[in-house]
Amino acid sequence: MVQRRRFVAASALGALGVLPARAQKHRQTPAELRLWTLLSGGDGARMRALIDDFNASQPGVRVVSTTLKWGEPFYTKLITSAVVGAGPDIATVHLSRLPNLAGGGVLRPIGAPELAAAGLKGSDYFPRQWEKSHYGGANYAIPLDLHPLVLYYNKNLARQAGVLDGAGTLKPIVGYEALTAAFKGVRARTGKAGLAMESGQGSYAIWRLWLSLLAQRKAPLIENGQFAYGRAGVEELAKVSAWFTDGYAPAGLDYPASTSQFMGGGAGFMINGVWEVPELVRATKGGTLGFDYGIVPLPRLYQDASVWTDSHAFAIPANEGKPMPPERLRAVLAFMAYVSRHSMGWAEGGHVPAYRPVAESAAARALMPNALYASAAQNVVYDPDGWYMGAAGPVESMASKFMPGALSGQLTPAEALGMFEKEALRLLRKRPPRY
Amino acid sequence: MSRGAASLNQTQLPQPASRPAPAGSSVRAEGLPAMLLLAPFVLAFLLFFLGPALQTLYLSLTESSLTRTSAFVGLANYATLVQDPSFWASLGNTFYFALLTVIPLTGIGLVMALLVHRFVRAQSWLQGAFFLPYVLPISVVTLIADWMLQPSSGIINHLVGGQRAWLSDVHWALPVVAIGTVWWTVGFNMLMLLAGLRNIPAEQYEAAALDGARGFTLFRAITWPALKPVFGTALLLQLIASLKVFGQTYILTSGGPYNTSRVTLHYMYETAFTQSDAGYAAAVAMAFMFVVIALTLVARLVAKRSS
Repeated sequence: MVQRRRFVAASALGALGVLPARAQKHRQTPAELRLWTLLSGGDGARMRALIDDFNASQPGVRVVSTTLKWGEPFYTKLITSAVVGAGPDIATVHLSRLPNLAGGGVLRPIGAPELAAAGLKGSDYFPRQWEKSHYGGANYAIPLDLHPLVLYYNKNLARQAGVLDGAGTLKPIVGYEALTAAFKGVRARTGKAGLAMESGQGSYAIWRLWLSLLAQRKAPLIENGQFAYGRAGVEELAKVSAWFTDGYAPAGLDYPASTSQFMGGGAGFMINGVWEVPELVRATKGGTLGFDYGIVPLPRLYQDASVWTDSHAFAIPANEGKPMPPERLRAVLAFMAYVSRHSMGWAEGGHVPAYRPVAESAAARALMPNALYASAAQNVVYDPDGWYMGAAGPVESMASKFMPGALSGQLTPAEALGMFEKEALRLLRKRPPRY
Repeated sequence: MSRGAASLNQTQLPQPASRPAPAGSSVRAEGLPAMLLLAPFVLAFLLFFLGPALQTLYLSLTESSLTRTSAFVGLANYATLVQDPSFWASLGNTFYFALLTVIPLTGIGLVMALLVHRFVRAQSWLQGAFFLPYVLPISVVTLIADWMLQPSSGIINHLVGGQRAWLSDVHWALPVVAIGTVWWTVGFNMLMLLAGLRNIPAEQYEAAALDGARGFTLFRAITWPALKPVFGTALLLQLIASLKVFGQTYILTSGGPYNTSRVTLHYMYETAFTQSDAGYAAAVAMAFMFVVIALTLVARLVAKRSS
């Protein structure tokens, strides 16, 4: 064991170029780092490519990744394994879950000297994302990206509806009326749906959109441990619901059905996260899409263009009782730094890289279609901080039960929010769990 | 839904006449082998059933997150539970699902068993057709059901017209899941009842035929009385299985729309894993266990009275 540790140390240091190549002369099997991700589909493939590149870039460390089911199954396994010392060496997390995970003792803080030793600098990351990687003054994660909601549009249908300019891009849409008119125009002129957005049971899109609209109105979600959205919240849910109940958007579609509706040319617009970009790029390249598409940031309906986002990040599970040996930690941080530096590959997944040298490079600025919505990154809002918040967290999960009821017209917006609040309030009053 | 094949209770089947009790010495002689034979089951039962059940009982008396117990709180979780409208609503949904499935599953199972038993030539074909859905894993069944029920692209709406989002519809969500469940699991009841049918001696039918009994009279006078104990067992097992519903509603409706199809086990799951409140979830589990046991006892009592 001791020998193995020494070897890990040697190889990790070797990977960082700290030791001369001579130390690596006796090549054995490289040290394995276990990575758990919640990335499937295109994101999963891109992450695997980054891992393969990292593994090929140096001989001492091999990252082995395991993909777990997105959302609550992933977090349940991460939480339970990390607190009994059986977690992986690295995990992907959402920054919106940091108060829950870091506050609950699931993650290991990364000290300033450790960051410095790995060449990780806070100033290399966008300030908002770097700040979101901290909890209680300590750093717990290395941010990877931002993935906000955006507005996709089908140029063929939008042109028929008269909402494109001469150059074939969407005329600026400002205000709820204008956006509704665009949906209505597509529906009336083409017979296709104006908007495709997931709205079936367990849909998260409405929560994300609702948070965006509240932020645009400067209405708070939670204040002093109470829900504070008040009338603004009911109004915004009612406005979005009207798109469905007035027939501009088909009600009750689950996530895959909503994206198929748009990809199949059956809807003029789609409100969804940037993670659907690769699918559109792929279909366009393959010639199977059947229409030209465009993307704009979520329109400004009120004071500003605030838009919900979340961020993927890398973190180190606490693995209680099994402190990470320094050499292993160095290898882990070396991997995180490598992925940051090479996050151009990640940007092809539609995400906005959080690492500024990449995000602000000429290559990234020219990357299409990402450049179309890059400005959204300046207006992002996250779930408010709280142990119950964040991706697939308890509050989002409750919202996904009740808000779709308003979209389908089975509940009034006030009823839906009333039911949501009654359940969610219990969480706000509970002590944050220590795992 | 649990499939209770292993626990198929034969005690209510007609028993052979009891043999004279063995002498005391031979009891002792058989004691050791008997214990050895019982040991694997007893060990597994203690380790995997009784142990965890006692642990759950303890957990229900504490305030616990997913992994850490922070305080012993006595009966506080139960006190909350009694006044928790979400718990009672979930129990109501569970009973509604049981109501929608227990009678159809045993009734249709009986009709299928009678068909298989009656049409000897098509027997293997019919039996296969009726039983086949049961071998599908729940993931496949729910995936297919979900496709068929999609509002704008599903075949069901193509056939009946309209754009109803069945699984998000407050009136239809649970009935639709119940229909899917009946199609999926009825084969097991068919098999159990078929075994019961085949246990009825053919001579009884011959004797009745000689006396001039035909058709439904045969069923009423011979088949039904002989099958009743098996039917009772099937009903009871089905009641327990239906109360334990989780997978279908979890996958197809996520308990929606707005929790109207959230069954008790789903509520327990959410409490433990989404809300990290394992202590309270354990109390939900214990309370539910008592409800199921109580219902089972009542059902047995009713069965005893009627026979």
